[in-house]
Parts: sequence; structure tokens; C-alpha cells
Amino acid sequence: MNAGTRVLLDVSGLQKRYDSSGVVAIESITLDVKEREFVSIVGPSGCGKTTLLKTICGLLRPTAGSVTLDGKLVTTPPPEMVLVFQDYARSLFPWLTVAGNVRFPLKKKNLAGAESTRAVGAALAAVGLDRFAKQYPWQLSGGMQQRVAIARAVAFRPEILLLDEPFASVDALTRAELEDLTLRLRDEFGITMLLVTHDIDEAVYLSDRVFVLSPPPSVVVREFAIPLGGARDQEATRSDPRFLSLRNEIHHLIGRPLPAAEAVP
Amino acid sequence: MKVRRTALGIATVVVLLAAWELSARLNKTVYVPPVTAIAATFVHEWFSAQFRDQALPSLLRMFAGYAIASTCGVAVGVVIGAYRPLYRLVDPVLQFLRAIPPTAIIPVGILLIGIGDTMKILVIAFGAFWPILVNSVDGARSVPQERLDTARIFGLSRSSTLLTVIFPSALPGVFAGLRTGLSIAFIMIVVSEMIGSTNGLGYYILQAQRTFAIPEMYGGIVLLAILGYCLNAGFVAVEHRILAWHHGQSARTV
Ligand SMILES: Nc1ncnc2c1ncn2[C@@H]1O[C@H](COP(=O)(O)OP(=O)(O)OP(=O)(O)O)[C@@H](O)[C@H]1O
Ligand SMILES: [Mg+2]
Repeated sequence: MNAGTRVLLDVSGLQKRYDSSGVVAIESITLDVKEREFVSIVGPSGCGKTTLLKTICGLLRPTAGSVTLDGKLVTTPPPEMVLVFQDYARSLFPWLTVAGNVRFPLKKKNLAGAESTRAVGAALAAVGLDRFAKQYPWQLSGGMQQRVAIARAVAFRPEILLLDEPFASVDALTRAELEDLTLRLRDEFGITMLLVTHDIDEAVYLSDRVFVLSPPPSVVVREFAIPLGGARDQEATRSDPRFLSLRNEIHHLIGRPLPAAEAVP
Repeated sequence: MKVRRTALGIATVVVLLAAWELSARLNKTVYVPPVTAIAATFVHEWFSAQFRDQALPSLLRMFAGYAIASTCGVAVGVVIGAYRPLYRLVDPVLQFLRAIPPTAIIPVGILLIGIGDTMKILVIAFGAFWPILVNSVDGARSVPQERLDTARIFGLSRSSTLLTVIFPSALPGVFAGLRTGLSIAFIMIVVSEMIGSTNGLGYYILQAQRTFAIPEMYGGIVLLAILGYCLNAGFVAVEHRILAWHHGQSARTV
């Protein structure tokens, strides 16, 4: 499913200064995300990526600038937007089963019992955890726990999913699996994705567009369009010359040395 | 392995009791009667109406006081811990009040309410309240920010966040407080009955000592030990059921 042309999320001149510490985490960030687009934000560690996502989804009040979703100004977390945190162990509810976690936010939606059971089942099936519904999250591996968090978000049926380094604490194989899972969810449920990561390859692999942030106080350094088509494949895409040249360019921009073996002439 | 440990434990107890018996019989002092004499008195005294007249009132007072302390301590504690400005406001006062040894409040209770059951129940409640409160506050304060953010993202109201996210998150702290509160309630019942009472185990033990009914005195203490042990065992069983998720999770991360 290709990205639409309607702008879903519009972030304009967003600034966030923490009153408690006086730290200006983000200086001024302007970006937009179109319907069903996969957009990534990459930036060095501590450049305010988490702050940016929390401000975008209305958890934090911006110091300046604005966020609009579907043309509506965001001031508190809107039901069309869900943020998935890096630390699944802290965001999941350990006293609830996997199914209980996924069902938890649906109580707010006043779904009938059967309907919410169906939604839970569908979300768990989509992330491949239907057999683990009755387990507790802490009985599962890290990658599976993050899938529970993603299933919980998907079952809520948001229009856009914000992902804060969601795969940073899982091993490389699981990471590739989860990357492909998010691509599938975008196609299957038509959910727009805004991902934050410090992994440039991941950003290029997944995205239609990539925004590169500067060190703090951060601004958007550059926007990259990633013309790699709708279907991505871990092997084919990552060895595509266009992929390699884009990730090299971004590496160069951020000023990080390239891992030698993967560098192309 | 487990059988051997149990056997070893029983053996230790038997040896200690035998040593007591032997030294009591050799020394022939009135103040430390032989174990067998205490045991005989214990059976005679407590497998009778005495249990209803002395032990039951103690237990009922304790449960009443503990119930009041638990309800108030958990409710107030979780609310204070959940609401940061309130916490900052009341924390110094709480720290000061909890430092009062609960037994010191008994004279105040007698002065204000007299020496009836109400005084004892309230004094027990006062003693058990503070550890329950303080631990509930800590439990509610230690909820990870991501969990609170998740509740907001899914549009939960303040009250449902409190009930369905903060309260369950606080349960490990709440139970730590309930456990300390239980042992303090147990101490308070004995002390309050020693100071102003006409029945109850504290009264019974002190009365036995005053009338030189020495085996009865020791028998009362043994009964307290047994009751305390059972209460704690019951508490641990309940806690293990309710906090199974917490223990399972901690076992995984260690
Ligand atoms: N609650 C807070 N109060 C005050 N300052 C904060 C707060 N949270 C973050 N900061 C500061 O804002 C800056 C950006 O932090 P943030 O966590 O948004 O960066 P990040 O890019 O997500 O970092 P990481 O790569 O470690 O995930 C840091 O200097 C941090 O110290
Ligand atoms: Mg971060």
C-alpha cells in the first residue's frame, strides 16, 4: 500500500524547553507525515528524540510551535495517535496477561465484549502471538514483549503509531523480524508510522522519508526521500545500491564513521 | 533435601526444649518452670472457654484495628503517592508523625476515649496505619513514568488511572506495608491490653505474672507466638496469590 498525499501529521516550529532543568531539548522542528507513510527520525543519542515524540503526541506541552493531526491542534493525547515506548517492561502491565494488556485500552472505547475479544484476537494474530494470549508479558522474551506493546497499540486502531526506538533493546535477528512486522502492520491496518531511531540503516530500510536531526538543541538538518518502493526485503533492499548510497550519505551527514565492512566505494 | 532440612529444624527445636526441661528440673526455680509443666498448663488453659474469653477478644480487636488501618492507610497512601503536589505538601508531616512510637499514643487514647475497646482498636489502628501509609505512598510513587504516559495515551481518566494503573503498580509496596502493619498491630494489642483491660491476652499474661501463675504466664506467651506465626503464614499465603505476577517478574529479572 503506497503512501497517500494527504498530510496527516503536521509539526511546525516545535520547541521544547524543560522548565525543571532549563534544558532546551528541541530547538525548532518542522516536519510532516502523510497518510500511510512510513517516516523515520534519526539523530544522535540525547538529541531529544523521546522529547519530540512525547511532545508530538500531547504528553508534553510545547514551548513554541504546534502539532496538528488531521487538521486538529494536538493539546492532549488524541485517540488517533498511540506512542510505543522503547522500554516495554515499563509500559506493559505485568499484572495482566498478554490478552489482558491488549484489551486494557479497549475498555475506554466502549466496545461490546465480543467485539473487543475479536479486536484482541486480530491484533495478537497480526503480531504472531495468538498462542501466548494467556501468558504474562514477563514470561516472554524481550522481542515478544515489544510485540505485545505493538499489538496493544494496533488493537486501539490509531491512525498513526509513534515508535520510540522500539527495537533498541532486542537482538539483531529479532530486530529484523520486528522491522518487517511494522511494515506489514502498516500495509495490513493502514496505520501511518513515525519511528525514532539512532540506527541509520533501520531508518532507510523502513522509511519513505527520513528526517535527520542535529545534536541538541536539535533542529532538522535534512530530509531524505527514500525511493526504494513499497516492498522491502531485508536482503534485497539492504544490498540495493540506492540503499547503500543513501545510508552512506546520512552517515556522512551525521559524521559517524562507517562500519568498514559495509562501506561502499 | 527439603525433608532433611525439615528434620534438622525439628531436631533443633527438640534439643532446645530438652535443654530447657533439664535445666529447669535441675535448678528447681519457680520462675522458669519445666517445658512439660508449661505444656500441660497450656493444654488445660487454652483448650477451654479461656480461649473464647481471653484470646478471641484480642484477635477481634486486632482485626478491627488492622482493618481500619489497612483501609485508610492504603486509600490515603495511594492517593498521596499518585499526586505529586499533595505528596510534597504532606510528606514532612508524615515523616514526623510516623516517628512517634505507637505505644506512646496509648496514654492519649486513654485520656480521650477511656480504657474501652474503642481505645484499643484505635490505638492498634494508629500503630498499624503509619507503615501501611508510608509504604503505599512509596509504592504509588514508584510507578514507571512510561506506564503513566501509556494510561494518558489511551485516554484514561484520572480516576481510572488511579484505580487500574497506579493501584496495581503500588501493590508490592502496599503489601510490604501491610506486613509490617500486621506485626505492629500484634504488638499494640498486647501492650494496650496490659495497660487498661479486663480481658485479652495481654491482660491474661500480666495477670498471671502478678498472681505468680508462672506456667500460665509462659503458656500465654506461647499462645501469642503460635497466633503470630499463623497470622504471618496466612498473610504470606494471601500475598503470594495476589502478588504472583510480581514474584514471577522479579524471579525472571534476577
Ligand atoms: N523530564 C525531563 N526533565 C528535564 N530534562 C529532560 C527530561 N527528559 C529529558 N530531558 C533532557 O532533554 C534532553 C533530550 O532528552 P531525550 O530523552 O528526549 O533524548 P533522546 O534523543 O530520546 O535520548 P536517547 O538517545 O538517550 O533516547 C536531554 O538533555 C535530557 O537530559
Ligand atoms: Mg529516547
